[in-house]
Parts: sequence; C-alpha cells; structure tokens
Amino acid sequence: MLAILKHRPSSRLWFSLLGIGMIVGAIGVVNVLLKGHGHVYNVSREIPWGILISTYVFLVVSSTGLCLISSLGHVFGIEKFEFFGKRAILLAILTLLCGFGTIAMELNHPLRMALYAVISPNFTSAIWWMGTLYGLYLVLLCGEFYFLMKGMHKGAFTMGMLGFIAAVSAHSNLGAVFGLLEARPYWYGPFLPLYFILSALVSGGAIISLLVYFHHKESGELMPQRYGEFMDTLGRLQALFLMILIFFVIWKIIPGLYGRPPEKYEATMAVLFGPLAFNFWFFEVLIGMLIPVTLLLNRRTRTPLGVMYAGLLSTFGIFFMRYDLVVAGQLVSMREGAADLVGGLLHYAPSLTEVAIVVGAISLCLFLYTLAEHLLPLREEEH
Amino acid sequence: MKNKRLAIVLDTRRCIDCKACTVACKAENRVPLGRNNYRNWVDEEALRGAYPNLGQSFTPSQCQHCANPPCAHVCPTHATEVNPDGIVHVVDKKCIGCKYCQTACPYNARYYNEEIGAVDKCTFCAHRVYEGRLPACVETCPTKVRVFGDINDPNSEVSRLLAKYPSRVLKPAQGTKPHLFYLI
Repeated sequence: MLAILKHRPSSRLWFSLLGIGMIVGAIGVVNVLLKGHGHVYNVSREIPWGILISTYVFLVVSSTGLCLISSLGHVFGIEKFEFFGKRAILLAILTLLCGFGTIAMELNHPLRMALYAVISPNFTSAIWWMGTLYGLYLVLLCGEFYFLMKGMHKGAFTMGMLGFIAAVSAHSNLGAVFGLLEARPYWYGPFLPLYFILSALVSGGAIISLLVYFHHKESGELMPQRYGEFMDTLGRLQALFLMILIFFVIWKIIPGLYGRPPEKYEATMAVLFGPLAFNFWFFEVLIGMLIPVTLLLNRRTRTPLGVMYAGLLSTFGIFFMRYDLVVAGQLVSMREGAADLVGGLLHYAPSLTEVAIVVGAISLCLFLYTLAEHLLPLREEEH
Repeated sequence: MKNKRLAIVLDTRRCIDCKACTVACKAENRVPLGRNNYRNWVDEEALRGAYPNLGQSFTPSQCQHCANPPCAHVCPTHATEVNPDGIVHVVDKKCIGCKYCQTACPYNARYYNEEIGAVDKCTFCAHRVYEGRLPACVETCPTKVRVFGDINDPNSEVSRLLAKYPSRVLKPAQGTKPHLFYLI
C-alpha cells in the first residue's frame, strides 16, 4: 500500500478520495445497523425500493456489460478486444460484489436470505432466480479470471462462454424482477428484460473505454497504436449501442403516452415533465446519450480522449437512468385517496444515509480495482 | 378450516370514516406506531355536490386475501403462505425484507414491521378466527360495514349478501381474484 502511495502524487489523491468515500459509506452502514432501516432510509410503505436498489442495478449492469464486451475478445475471437480481458473480468467481479453489498444493505435480513433461499426456494420468484443466476455468474466469472491469469486459454474460453450465457440469463432476469410485476404498469411487460441487456452493452462499453484510457494514462507512456485503434473501434461500437439505446428509450416513452394507459401514463409523465424530468432530460438524455453519441459519431472527436469522455458521461447518465426507472415505477399510488400525494404522485428522495452507502459502495469498488491493478499481474499478453 | 373460503363483504354505504377498524386492528395485532404502519385503512373518495348539499363515500380496505396472490408468487423464500381457507399470511422468520411483495401488491396492503423484522399485513385475525371469534375490525365496526364468513357455505351471511346484492372487487383487471367484496 505504501509503495503504491509513493508511486505518484495523483494516485495519492485518488486513494485519499476513495478513502473518504469509503469512510462516508462506513458511517452510513454503521448508522443503519445502529438505528434500523425505518429510521435512516427514506423508502416507505408506498415506495419500498429506492436508490440502493437502483445502485445495485447500476453496479450489476456494469458487471454484465463488462462481461459481455470482454467476451467479444476471448469468447468470440475478436482479437482487438482481447487485451483488456483480465481487467474487464476483474472489474466485473468487483462491481458484482459491490452490487451485492448494496442490495444487502437494503435487505432487512441478508443472512436469512442465504438460509431460506436454499431450504425454502420459490421458483416462481424472479428475485430467487436473480440470486441464483447471479451467484452462478459470480462463480463463472471467478473461474474465467483464474484461467485468464494462468494463461489457460481453453479454460478461459469455456468459462467465458458459460459466463456469457449466465450474464445474459441473470441480467435479463433482473429486468424480469421489474417486468413481471403486473401491479406496476410502468415496468410490466417483456420490455425491461430486453432493455436491460442492451443497456448493459452501453454500460460495459463505457466502462471499458475508461479502463483502457486510464490504465494507459497511469502508465505515463505514449498511447501505443494498438490502443488508439482499439479506442476508435470501441468508439464506433459504442455509438451504435447508444443509438440503439436511444431507440429503446423512445419506444419506452411512446406506449406510455399513447392512449394514456392508466398508471403507465402518469409514471411516464413523471419522467418527462414531473419530479424526474431534470434527471431524465439533463442526465439521461443530454449527459448520458446525446453528448456521448455526438462525440463518438464525429471523427474528429472520436480520439481516445473523446471516447473516454463519452464513456464517462454515459456512465453518469446510466446511473440516473437506473434511478429514474426504479423510482418512476413506484410513483403512482396503488390506492385512490392515499395520503401524502404531491401533484397526484407519491414522493421519494434518498436520505443522507442511503446516499452515503451508495458513495461507499462505488468508492470501495474503485478502491479494490485500483489496488488489484497495482498488486496483480494484469498486464496483457502479446498476441 | 378445510373446504372453507373466508371472505369479507363490505357495505360501504354504512361507513362513517370513524376508523375504529384501523384502531382495533392496530391494538389487536400490535401494529407499531408510525404513519406507515397499518394493516387496514379507510380511503376517502372525493366530495360530491356543492355546499351545503355535500356527500362523500369511504372505502375501508385491507389485504384482499386474493385467490391468485401476486405477493405469494414473487416472494423468493415462500415467506408468504396461503392457508387452505384462503388466509394469506407472512411467516416472519422466512421474510428476508426484500419488499418484493410490497411492490407486487396492487392494493398497497403490506408494510415492513421493524419490530417483528418482517413484512406485515392483515391476516383476517387468523388467531381469533381459528378460535371461532370474528376479526377485530369486523367486531368493532359500529355501523356493521363488514361481514365476515365462509363463502363456500351457502347459508353463511356473506353468501346470502352476495346472492342478494350485486358486488364488486377492487382492481379486477389485475387478475388477483380478491376476497373482499364491496356491495354496490
């Protein structure tokens, strides 16, 4: 650790920031353990799922995306995509674990879950499948990482293939956790399982652009041609994924407005013009999609730096995309005449403790990754 | 309680919004204090007419003890169980607090009870019913809005009311097949 800190002043600053983030998170965790969920979280009877659930979704989407994009290399044989395999899989493991940590803080009894999910499983529950499939996915990711580290290509390919299938199953099923709820018209239907997979590709591409750029930047050398070419290819691919995402977002909105379907319409309006409008238009649309796609489509801005900026902005945008999706689905009251409605909708804003845990989880994830980057031989093999 | 199908029939025209049902339920079932904590409630409909000729209706409600309960389908650990007589209840020790049932219930009938560490809801006062007594909300209602009984028994008061008067259920399009019937 000390050796790392001596390494460069910038890494000292980076570790200090992450250290503060983790302390903030630890304070949040202690606070909830001492006082209880009901006293420190702003989730309620009507809106039981808040920012911890959306952050969990954000982190596991990132994991899935990293796995899917890195599969292009060591599973589907696109050589350009092979060199960051270890890093992508390692970060996929860490984002998944931090995602689990976040949802464990939202669950009131994570330990009970481990017991009763095994001795009293309910196969009609998408959450049961979510736990099982993500558990399997984690095991496969670890296997894949092990084989990659050992340079055992065949094993890595097999694990990668199985991991790819598990990632698609687990993540589309996460969409189904929301999509199977007939009581929530904004989520209900086959749209979310499909949309979750697509948006995972955007997340994965964005984070890999950050990984490749900063890994190189940190090395202090000039960017090799291979990296530059890769960033250009990734940039084009990312532009395509973003345009498909925009297509998905448009087709999420239109059925929510057309014919004013009850409850779905109110939730869609909450996103477009209501309490979530700023998040939607500013973070999701402008920061998350329009600016990145503009940067990536323009040949002059599709430089490694430009692709990295596009990835950073998309990652921010996607965080808000998850939050808006989770909250919007619950804003319409299940009851007529319910109390506390503001403009006909329920209200949720995350509490300080909820935000602290989110900051802590993301800081922890970045800290573990940076640490691994310094301690493990992640250097790519020459192909 | 085999071969029984327990249900409540409500005549909302009799409801005066006194909330005795909510209070009796809280006392009977040790529902913790707090705005979010209740097993049953009274919804207020909009005012009708113009001053001084005003009218208002109230809809008392609670868990619908659905024949097709989404809460039971989504619970990852089978913490929500359905008895043979149709009573839907939560097994406290199996509840992991994921609140999936709360997002799945179209009636908002569930809340998280911090004191027992599990999601909590109306059980038709099963502990009383299995002793041959009435649910607390039914017993306490001063205007007899609620009638509790077995709809599989054609001679029960609930069956007679349902045969005599037209009735409706809440959110029939959800396909949950609720067992709270509102006389029209």
